[in-house]
Amino acid sequence: MEAPPDNDVLWARSLHFTHPDGSPGLAGVSLAVREGEVLAVSGPRGSGKTTLLRCLSGLVPVREGEVWFNSTPVHTLGPTHRERLRRDRFCWIGPEPALVPELNAWENAALPLMLRGTSRRRAKATALEWLERLDVGEAARKRPHRLRQSERQRVSIARALAPAPTVLFADEPTAPLHRADRGHVLRTLTSAARSHGITVVLATADPETAAAADRTVTLLDGRPVRTVHLPEIPDAGGRAACSISV
Amino acid sequence: MLDLRLTRAARPAVQLRRLLVAAASAGTGFLLLSCLGYALGHPGTAGAGALRLAWCLVPVAATVHFAVAVARTDPGARPRPGLSALGLGPARLMAVSALGTALATTLGSLLALALFLHLRGDLAGVPFDGAGASFLAVGRPLPAAAALTLLAVVPGVATATVAVALRPRDPKPATRPQRRYLSFVGPAGRAPAGDRAAAGAPAGGGTPSAPDSATDLAAPTPDRDPADGRDTPAGLPWAVALLAAGLTAQAYAGRTPPPPAPTFTTFAPAAVPFLLGWLLTAAGVVLAAPGLTHLCGRLLQCARPGALRLLAGRVLMTEAARIGRPLGVLWAVAAGYATTTLYAAPARAFGPLSILGALVVTGCAFATLLTVAVETRQCRAETTAALLRLGAPATVLRGAAALRALALLAFFTPLTLAIAALAALPLTR
Repeated sequence: MEAPPDNDVLWARSLHFTHPDGSPGLAGVSLAVREGEVLAVSGPRGSGKTTLLRCLSGLVPVREGEVWFNSTPVHTLGPTHRERLRRDRFCWIGPEPALVPELNAWENAALPLMLRGTSRRRAKATALEWLERLDVGEAARKRPHRLRQSERQRVSIARALAPAPTVLFADEPTAPLHRADRGHVLRTLTSAARSHGITVVLATADPETAAAADRTVTLLDGRPVRTVHLPEIPDAGGRAACSISV
Repeated sequence: MLDLRLTRAARPAVQLRRLLVAAASAGTGFLLLSCLGYALGHPGTAGAGALRLAWCLVPVAATVHFAVAVARTDPGARPRPGLSALGLGPARLMAVSALGTALATTLGSLLALALFLHLRGDLAGVPFDGAGASFLAVGRPLPAAAALTLLAVVPGVATATVAVALRPRDPKPATRPQRRYLSFVGPAGRAPAGDRAAAGAPAGGGTPSAPDSATDLAAPTPDRDPADGRDTPAGLPWAVALLAAGLTAQAYAGRTPPPPAPTFTTFAPAAVPFLLGWLLTAAGVVLAAPGLTHLCGRLLQCARPGALRLLAGRVLMTEAARIGRPLGVLWAVAAGYATTTLYAAPARAFGPLSILGALVVTGCAFATLLTVAVETRQCRAETTAALLRLGAPATVLRGAAALRALALLAFFTPLTLAIAALAALPLTR
C-alpha cells in the first residue's frame, strides 16, 4: 500500500462500485485531487459522477479500491469515523438546496458551526459574513420559502463554506438554475473556494460549468476517459427537427 | 383490486395502525349495540336509552378522528407524482384511502357484532352466567335492521370524513394575511426586512463581530422574519373566549346546590348548563391547543438558542397547526378525567360500559397524537436526511425530539390540572 504524494489531499485508486441493486456504478476510477484546486468531474448523466463523489466523501462504504484523504485510508473507516470525517473535513452541496425550512437563512448557514459546538455569536458572525460575501446578505433573515432558488442555493453554499472545510463536494450545484444565475453561483463558489484554499470536487454535466474548474476529469459509464466519443445521434426519421415555440 | 393490493402490501407498522382503527371501531360498535340492547331490555325508559346513545357520540367522534389521522399517514395513499399518468392520481388515491378506512372500520364493526352476539348467547350458550344481562337483552330477538344501522354508523362516517379530508385540492393561489394569535408577540412595530437590512448594511463588510452587534442593535427582535406569521395558527383569542365562557357556564351551573352528576342513564335538567359549559370548555381547549403549541415552541427557542433548542423550538412552531389539534383533543380528554377525579362527591362505580367508552376515547386520542407525530416525521424526512448529510449527530436530532415532547408535557400538564380544578370548583364547593 503506497502512500499518496504530499500535495494530493484526496486520492482514489482503482475504485469500483456496484449499487446495492446490482447496477454498475464505477469501474476502476483512479484520480488525485491536489490541495486547493477546483476539480471538475464531468460526463453525461448516469456516468457515475455522483457515485464517485459519494465514494470519495465517505457517504457510501468503498468495498473495492482505495480512497485516501490526507493519508487517512477512508476505505477502511467505519461509519462513525466517516461521519466524523464528513462533519469535520468535508462539506456537501447537492443539486437541491436542502435547507432546513424552519430556520432563516443565517441560521441555516450557521447550523453546521453550531452543531460543532461553536458559540452562537461566533457562528452567527461567520454565517452573516459568508452570506454577505455570496450576495445574499439582504436575505439573511428570510426563511427559505421566501427566497428564490438561486438565493437558496447560495445560502446552501454559504452553509457549506462557513465551517471552513478541507474539501467541498459540489454535486451539480447549478443544475436547477437558469444560465445567468448559474454563472453567478458558480463564480461565487469557485472564487470563495480559491480565496480560502478550499479544495473543490465539482460534478457537472455542463461543459460551461466544467470550464470554470482548474482541471477536468471526464467519466463515461463509470470509467475516466480522455475524450468522449459518443455515437452520432441518428437523424430522426426524415422528420423536421421539433421546435418549441414559447 | 389495486386498492386491496396496496392495502395488503404495507409494512407491519401501517397494518398495526389499521388494526388499531379496527379495534377502536369495534369498541364503539359494541357501545352502540349495547345501547340497542339496553333499549330492548327497558322498553319503558326511552329517555335513558336515548341518553346512552347520545353519550356514544363521544367515542364515535374519537374513532373517526383517529381513522382520519391514520388515513393521512398511510404511505399507500401518499401522492405519487410518477404514477399519476397510470391512473393513480389524487382522486384515485383518495378512493384508496377511503376504501382502506372502510375496510378497517367494517372489520371492527363485524368484530363488535360477533362479540355482542357471543355475549348474548346467540352463537353458543350465555357466557359469564348472564352477568351483563342489563344491556344485552338476553332472550329477546335482536332487530337486524337496527343493529346493522348502528354498526354502519362508524364505517360510514369515517369513510365519508376521510374522503372529504383527503379530497384532491389545488394549492391555494395566494395566502391571505393571517391574524396573529397574540398581538404582543406579533410583528407589530417591527421594521420590515428591507429597512433592517439597510440598517445592518453599513457595518456589513467590517470585522466579524461588527455586523453581529450592529444588526442586534438595529433589530429589536432579530430572530424572526416578517413572514413567519404564515404558519402561526390563528384563533387563540376565540379559543380563550370559548374556554372562559365554558368555565363561567359551569360556575353558573354550580351556583345552586350541586346538581346530581349527569350519568349515563339519569340526567337532571339542572345539569344542562353544566354539560353545555363543559362542551364549550372542551371546544375552547381543542381550539387553543395549536396556538399554545406555537407559543410553547416560541418560548423554547427564545433567548439565544443553540442548535438543539433552535431545531426543537422552530419545528414545534412550524408543526403547531398539525400537532396542536390532536394534542388539544387529548388535553380535553385528560381535563375531563381530571375533573371527574376531582369531582368525586357522589362516588359511583364505573360500569363496564363506561370503562370501555373511556378506554376507546383515551386510546383514540392518544393513538391519534402518536399517528400525527408519525405523519410529522414522514413530512420532515427530507430535512432530517439533509441534516444527517450535514453531519448532525443523531443524538442532536433525538434530543430535539425529546426536548419537544418534554416541553409540551411541562406546558400542558399544569394547564390541564388548572382547567380541571376550575371546572370542578363550583361542584365541590
